[in-house]
Amino acid sequence: MSLRRSSALVGALALALVVTGCGSSKDGSDAAGKGKTRVFAADNGKITIPADPKRVVATGYAVPAMIEADASLVGISSWKRGEPLMSKKDLATYKKLPKVAGELAKETNYEAIAEAEPDLIVIGVPAPVLGDIDVQRLESIAPVVAIGPTVPSAWRKLTRKQSDAAGSLKKFDAVQKRYEAKAAKLAKKYEGVLPELKLGHVGAYGEVAKGTFQREFGNSWGTNIAEDLGAKYYGKVKKPGPGSHAVSEYPSIEELPASLRAADAITYSVQADGSVPKAVKYVMDSKLWKNLPAVKAGKTYPLRYTEAATYGQAMKTLDAIDKSFAPLLKR
Amino acid sequence: MTTRQALAAPARRRTVLSALGLRPERRTVILVAVLTALILGLGLLGLCYGASWKSPGEVFAALNGSEPSIVIQDWRLPRVLAALVFGAALGVSGALFQNLTRNPMGSPDVIGLDAGAYTGALVALTVLSGTSAQLAVGSVLGGLAVAALIYVLAYDRGFSGLRLVVIGVAVNAMVTALNSWIVLRAELEVAIAAVGWSAGSLNGVGWGDLGIPFTVIGVLLALMAARAHAMHQAALGDAIAVTTGVGLDRLRLLMVLVGVGCTATVTAVAGPIAFIALAAPQIGRRLAGAAGVPLLPAALTGAVLLQGADLIAQMLLAPVALPVGVVSTAIGGCYLIWLLTKEVARA
Amino acid sequence: MTGAGRASKAPAPGGRVREVTSSGRATPRVALLVGGLVLLVAVAVVSIGIGARSVPPAEVVRALFDFQGTDDHVIVRDVRAPRALLAVAVGAALALAGALIQTLARNPLAEPGILGVTAGAGFAITLGSALGLTGGQVGELGFSIVGSVLAALLVAAVGRRSPLRLVLTGVALTAVLSGVAMGLRLMLPDVFDSYRFWSVGSLAAREQAPLALPLAAIGVCLIGALLLSRALNVLALGESVANTLGASVGRVRIAALALITVLSGAATAVAGPILFVGLIVPHLVRRPAGGSVPWLILYTMVVGPILLLVADIGSRVLLPTGEVPVAVVTAFLGGPMLIWAVRRHGAGAL
Repeated sequence: MSLRRSSALVGALALALVVTGCGSSKDGSDAAGKGKTRVFAADNGKITIPADPKRVVATGYAVPAMIEADASLVGISSWKRGEPLMSKKDLATYKKLPKVAGELAKETNYEAIAEAEPDLIVIGVPAPVLGDIDVQRLESIAPVVAIGPTVPSAWRKLTRKQSDAAGSLKKFDAVQKRYEAKAAKLAKKYEGVLPELKLGHVGAYGEVAKGTFQREFGNSWGTNIAEDLGAKYYGKVKKPGPGSHAVSEYPSIEELPASLRAADAITYSVQADGSVPKAVKYVMDSKLWKNLPAVKAGKTYPLRYTEAATYGQAMKTLDAIDKSFAPLLKR
Repeated sequence: MTTRQALAAPARRRTVLSALGLRPERRTVILVAVLTALILGLGLLGLCYGASWKSPGEVFAALNGSEPSIVIQDWRLPRVLAALVFGAALGVSGALFQNLTRNPMGSPDVIGLDAGAYTGALVALTVLSGTSAQLAVGSVLGGLAVAALIYVLAYDRGFSGLRLVVIGVAVNAMVTALNSWIVLRAELEVAIAAVGWSAGSLNGVGWGDLGIPFTVIGVLLALMAARAHAMHQAALGDAIAVTTGVGLDRLRLLMVLVGVGCTATVTAVAGPIAFIALAAPQIGRRLAGAAGVPLLPAALTGAVLLQGADLIAQMLLAPVALPVGVVSTAIGGCYLIWLLTKEVARA
Repeated sequence: MTGAGRASKAPAPGGRVREVTSSGRATPRVALLVGGLVLLVAVAVVSIGIGARSVPPAEVVRALFDFQGTDDHVIVRDVRAPRALLAVAVGAALALAGALIQTLARNPLAEPGILGVTAGAGFAITLGSALGLTGGQVGELGFSIVGSVLAALLVAAVGRRSPLRLVLTGVALTAVLSGVAMGLRLMLPDVFDSYRFWSVGSLAAREQAPLALPLAAIGVCLIGALLLSRALNVLALGESVANTLGASVGRVRIAALALITVLSGAATAVAGPILFVGLIVPHLVRRPAGGSVPWLILYTMVVGPILLLVADIGSRVLLPTGEVPVAVVTAFLGGPMLIWAVRRHGAGAL
């Protein structure tokens, strides 16, 4: 339709009129054309967005980041993956906010997004998944910026960008500063022991196929926050691929000795409640694990909250790592 | 008793009856009227239902332009029409393959056309960048490739429906295996998206997505409608068909092309929507009390099924929009089992 | 052996096969059975020798007979050997279940996978684990068998009137269950996460799980099938003939049905749903068996394990790192074999 295609702003305005048009009174804040705009570079190109967005819809990885940055959200996608990592306050906000999309990009409810009358939509899904979303239709509602994940450790840049788009950098920077201060303090605490150790990590992110284990190297989910404490993870992926495949691999259990024999100490991912996930338990039950030098020396450390993807969540991870690494200092 | 006999025996009875202008035709007319009314009713419901309910009055006002509404005209209407046309296309496609194979199992989703189209889409997602154009082209090519493979493998100095179905089941299993291998190799985030793509959905379908598919389906259905009479004759058995001068091989090729074209076009836009093609022709045939697998009841039943399934998909977890493929599988399968049970009870 | 060997070579000109089956009775059959057993042992040895980590053959032998506890020895003895044993048991169970269903339903297209019996078992396990009831092997086996019994009863009740309808019902049931499971996963992703685990069969990562009970169940069923095979042979002649020969048709049927459900339930409980083994193997051995149900069952028990062992070797070498689930490989192997069988014998012979 020519109307929808012609201009995002005109479309949004027309839509706002239609949606609120049936009888009810209009409040003044819905005029998207009003106020200053700026140009923002996102995955989907240079987008003109409001300088101070008042009504933001966030999906995917952007959900926890935006909640944490106190962005003025009016609708979010469901994001079960992030729930265990959210603080109590954030979780309450998450539960209270109207859901306008499901876990999958496919389950986006365009009408519900339109009803939320956003002036900015932030999509936090990986670039290939954007094909599942009718971006044009979303653009007819409000400017759309897509900022999706790449390498696991890149959440630092991505969440900053997402918060920047929503105009809530102030809160974001405050949290980031707190995180960095805490990480620096802990790095100092472990200065004497941690950088000396050659570390390896056994992860449980995504679908670990039967009979394999997830070996994570530096910059991966399980390792990137520990690295802020000065931990050194050795080795690299045999055949690097795009995205997370550059920093983690899923070899057969038979390769466990070859992969981790050189490690001085091994960290492994556990769930938020401290329980060992199936994929890791399989490794730890194996006799090959018990044969590893690091395991024989008793140097294995569970890491909680390894999927943290915002500074606020990563604070929790820092605490968990601190607790877990504490025995190192006693030696 | 074999299917061939099962189909041929009532078929002969029907020709006698229809020659005398008796019941089956009247029943078909009534059925068509009822199904059309159902389609219109479900269509209106689809236009009214959404994040906010619109009264039928508002819907009509929007449709005749007196009170324009982007939500109704540009969002809900294309979705409703897509459910109608795609459902009909899937129903016809299923009916064609069931006629061709003389087997109620011989539907595009069983013999692997859906899986092949999905392979094409997966390749577009994982190897290429996965734009919607690449997804569409990929899935049409995938569907066609699988159809060609099955046809070549099944055509061996003659043509047997059962052989085609069995080979189709085998090809389906292989292509499905290939799909899981591709997903296993894919990057995690892409794999999660691909898993979502495995259940078809009409969510977010707009006018821009529908122009070409509607044209293609329209042309294919018109082509087939012109030869429907010949097809029904062919359904009476090769011997009779040859004596009445039907170019059997050419007819079959046309049926395959139309069937594949319809399935692949729908899959390209919406993803694999399983079970409509399998269930609609069988349900339509039983409702019509007809011999063979007639096209019109199959098309109308397909439209009703897909419209109903899409509405349920929207309502079940609202505001989260469930993929219609999940619902169509569950509903279509249950209904088919119920139908079979009823026949067992009656027998 | 005959089946696997012949399938891998170009099909011999039609006459030769018929010669084998028509000339002489017992001796070639026994020779084939011995040949099959030899091949089975050979494939099992290869399966233990091959893996992601290359272990020299001498070390493999030492691991089995002179265990030192080194990494290589642990891999051979605690990872590969149990896996090979599992492949043998599951292969035999699925192939036998397929042969029994095909004989009982007199439907050459029937097998536990196509008839939805394994899908029912897999779904029941998922449901059980979602309810938190399938902790140990007893729970898994119990749910699996209950699921396969319910699926088999439903499919048999609805589709018993014709072979085609039986298959149609099975495919419908499989689709319904997968649709329901998919929907549940979308609604309750955490609770139904394990469906991913139970939706594609694999032999990997089961070496630590206690498997004594399911394997014992499979063993008992194999013996039971051999005991029942003569009665089935009579039944295969047709119900009226069987009745006049004084066979208790109803009882034989119920016994066979029990064997089928326990076999597919136990196989699914240890490996997840694996399709095609039960369809392909009986087709491969039907000619050498020459219409004798006892021989069909014997051959099936040997060729099923061979097929699954070969598929499992494939599952370990097909990806540069990691594994392809064995069910994916059997579909890949089974597809062409089925097409070959259909083209060779023609639809009429089916």
